[in-house]
Amino acid sequence: MKKIILVAFVLSAFVLKAQMKVDDVKTFTLTNGMKFLVVEDFSIPNANMYLFYKVGSRNEYQGITGLSHFFEHMMFNGAKKYGPKQFDQTMEFNGGANNAYTTENVTVYTNWFPASAAEVIFDLESDRIASLSIDPEMVESERGVVLSERSTGLENSPWRLLSQSLQATAFQEHPYHWPVIGYEDDMKNWTQQDLERYFKTYYAPNNCVVVVSGALKFEEVKRLAEKYLQPIPAQTAPPKVHIVEPKQTGERRITVQKEVTNPYLMIGYKTPESKHEDYYALNILSSILSRGKSSRLYASLVDNQQLATMVFTDYGDSFDPNLFNFYAVANKNVSSESIEKAIYFEIEKVKNEGISETELQKVKNQKLMEFYNQIETIDGKSNNIGTYEVFFGDYKKMFNAPENYNKVTVTDVQNVAKKYFSKSNRTVGVLKTNVEE
Amino acid sequence: MKILNIKSTVIFCLLAITQISLIAQSYKLPNYTTFKLSNGLTVYLMEQHDVPVISLSAIVAAGAIYDGENPGLASLTAAALMHSTQNFSKAKIDEEIDFIGANINTYASKEFAGLSAKFASKDSDKVLKIFKEIMLNPTFNSEEFDKEKSRLLVELEQKKESPRAVIGSYFDKLIYGNHVYGNVISGTTTSVEKLAVNDVKDFYENNYLPNESAICIVGDFSSKEMKSTITKLFSGWKKRNIVRANVFDATVKVPSKNNVLLVNKDDANETTFYIGSTGISRNNPDFVAISVVNTLFGGRFTSMLNDELRVNSGLTYGASSRFSTLKNAGTFYISTFTAKETTQEAIDKALEVLKSLHQNGIDEKALTSAKNYVKGQFPPDYETTDQLARLLSEMFWYNFDASFINNFENNVNSLDLSKANNIIATYFPKDNLQFVLVGKASEIKPIAEKYGDVTVVEIKD
Repeated sequence: MKKIILVAFVLSAFVLKAQMKVDDVKTFTLTNGMKFLVVEDFSIPNANMYLFYKVGSRNEYQGITGLSHFFEHMMFNGAKKYGPKQFDQTMEFNGGANNAYTTENVTVYTNWFPASAAEVIFDLESDRIASLSIDPEMVESERGVVLSERSTGLENSPWRLLSQSLQATAFQEHPYHWPVIGYEDDMKNWTQQDLERYFKTYYAPNNCVVVVSGALKFEEVKRLAEKYLQPIPAQTAPPKVHIVEPKQTGERRITVQKEVTNPYLMIGYKTPESKHEDYYALNILSSILSRGKSSRLYASLVDNQQLATMVFTDYGDSFDPNLFNFYAVANKNVSSESIEKAIYFEIEKVKNEGISETELQKVKNQKLMEFYNQIETIDGKSNNIGTYEVFFGDYKKMFNAPENYNKVTVTDVQNVAKKYFSKSNRTVGVLKTNVEE
Repeated sequence: MKILNIKSTVIFCLLAITQISLIAQSYKLPNYTTFKLSNGLTVYLMEQHDVPVISLSAIVAAGAIYDGENPGLASLTAAALMHSTQNFSKAKIDEEIDFIGANINTYASKEFAGLSAKFASKDSDKVLKIFKEIMLNPTFNSEEFDKEKSRLLVELEQKKESPRAVIGSYFDKLIYGNHVYGNVISGTTTSVEKLAVNDVKDFYENNYLPNESAICIVGDFSSKEMKSTITKLFSGWKKRNIVRANVFDATVKVPSKNNVLLVNKDDANETTFYIGSTGISRNNPDFVAISVVNTLFGGRFTSMLNDELRVNSGLTYGASSRFSTLKNAGTFYISTFTAKETTQEAIDKALEVLKSLHQNGIDEKALTSAKNYVKGQFPPDYETTDQLARLLSEMFWYNFDASFINNFENNVNSLDLSKANNIIATYFPKDNLQFVLVGKASEIKPIAEKYGDVTVVEIKD
């Protein structure tokens, strides 16, 4: 439905039909340091606003773990003009909906609304960013909500328990050590002062990037931003996260007990952050290993050998070095040791023999389709632009992505496999019913 | 980026809708054409040229309601379509599709089977050829079937690790009983164990018929060329006159007393529950009005249910309600979860909110808010080629047309307070409620007994 296509993502053989240029994203920065990225798109009478705050669980320390995520919840619980409940009530009355999420790195607020309601949305955001009020009663009931959120995550997926245990083992010093949701005991003990300090430190306009896409003119967005958000004063920049995880010098292994049919396996290799030069090769490697039924791990472990019922890999965006993860669930009567071995066998194959040109081309083709899917919606546009701006330092890097993917050669992919997939650089986690055997 | 924690899980019911009156123009469905091949196959084509992609959604009257004595058969048949065809091995299909970054999925729902695909428009010929092979010339390779089946058996066991993944099937069984709408799409370990590749072949022969099917294509193509391509590819699909049991005829019994199905999960720390009754069919003339009222009751973040169970009391991360609709019947349910220790408090609160809906009705301000909300959230539901292709296939299956979209705003606007309060009395259950509780039976059974006649089953069975 899009009239405007944002990004040049011209991968090798393909030329996109639609005109794409960096100028389709227009930007301005308010005097208080809040940066805006705007995309006009009149295909539907709706618009959205994505606010990326550079705060996540990596900004916490033990004693206040989970506070970033809890704070995300508190941002909906009342400010000066719009009291408790009124943020959501007002937004919904005006036809808008919202959500938010917190990761290790960022906290993102998303508003989806009919373009005609834009002024109300700016007013609501302005109110909570300028003058959030942290009502002790709301803190208590919201504490119950996040405890339920934690519990239901653990209740419904073994991956939650396994991945937080693995993460805690892989990272011994860096704040990626604890889960985004927090430790249960910390969750029960956050104080009013913790919340107030957090708000002042991290919820400053200069710590936020805002993306607006949809049926709104750039000039209108700018006018509203200047009226509602510019008066909010800037704050001193938040303290840097100074902890660097020491180099891992040997394989680490953990076992976790949970009642499951067959064992769950996770392997995490330490890999660099999004801004690193190896990012694109690692990203491509992840697709070659596990994207689609013709991918190496699926074809081998699930289809041919029938050792696993599912297998996937994940190399996400992050500010600090994080993990390249492998996940697999054992088939009936298959031990976690067998799938672990089978995964290493495939990893060694990449390290020793490399990948084929056809596989590399396949991933480049898949990246193009991925890109099309993202630009089909105004939400995909906002999310993409914001992600590049925040994780890669500049939304314009999105325009270099095609070039960066295209530059990757089969040798580069083999080299990153060799560089990062070593025994001493990995943490292995197994979750199963019987942990005594 | 791991999106771990989301503020609101609230599921928007039936449809989520958009847009506030004054300035914005209302959303209209883009033009499309429709025609029938001589074998009875219906085709819908809608051009959308903004992004060079095409989405396709095919729908065949071959869902779980036709399972007969073999629960899981429709679903396994749909999966087996991709195992091999006259001209392609499974590996070849996987390779070709992956190489161009396309995807093709097959599935069975309660009523119909479906094939959906998305691909770059330049790959249209290649994908359509594979798509046709999968749909018309599957050869049901027995080795692949065995692999699929054994994987499915393990997955069925694994699903029982998550209350959320299984509660819906228990609830449908409780409401629909022996009616075909109670059929469990994925089947059970016992039923799937018995299935052989010949069952799948027979099911395909007897149920994949062009005269009860539609193919809906949306995206960057020329309708004229696409019409001729589809006609060439699918005219050879033979029309057959197979008399099938009229599974739709049976009526769904409305419950006459409270029942509680308690699903025991020994290691549960939470109680996950549904409370509800029979609901409405998709063609109910009050469909839009009901969805507006349900938005207020349990269909958005500030809904009565979420406000009481989450915002006011912190008992849960989210509480919602939904009318789930099929061609000839439907269910209504409240859905939430809470810590084991607060089971009774949460159930009581949910019942109080339902009671209050009946006793106090809704007021003008709330109704206006819900109307604005459903209108405001409507257009983004029909933004992508896949959303539009799915819409067209639903139009075919449930027999509605573009007026659903084009008159949506008017229909919402015309709902007044007295009608809204009538909707509550007519469609929202008041008594004879049906409960499914998934949790630790040894601790919550005494609580369950307060709400009706209790039957206990084991999640592992």
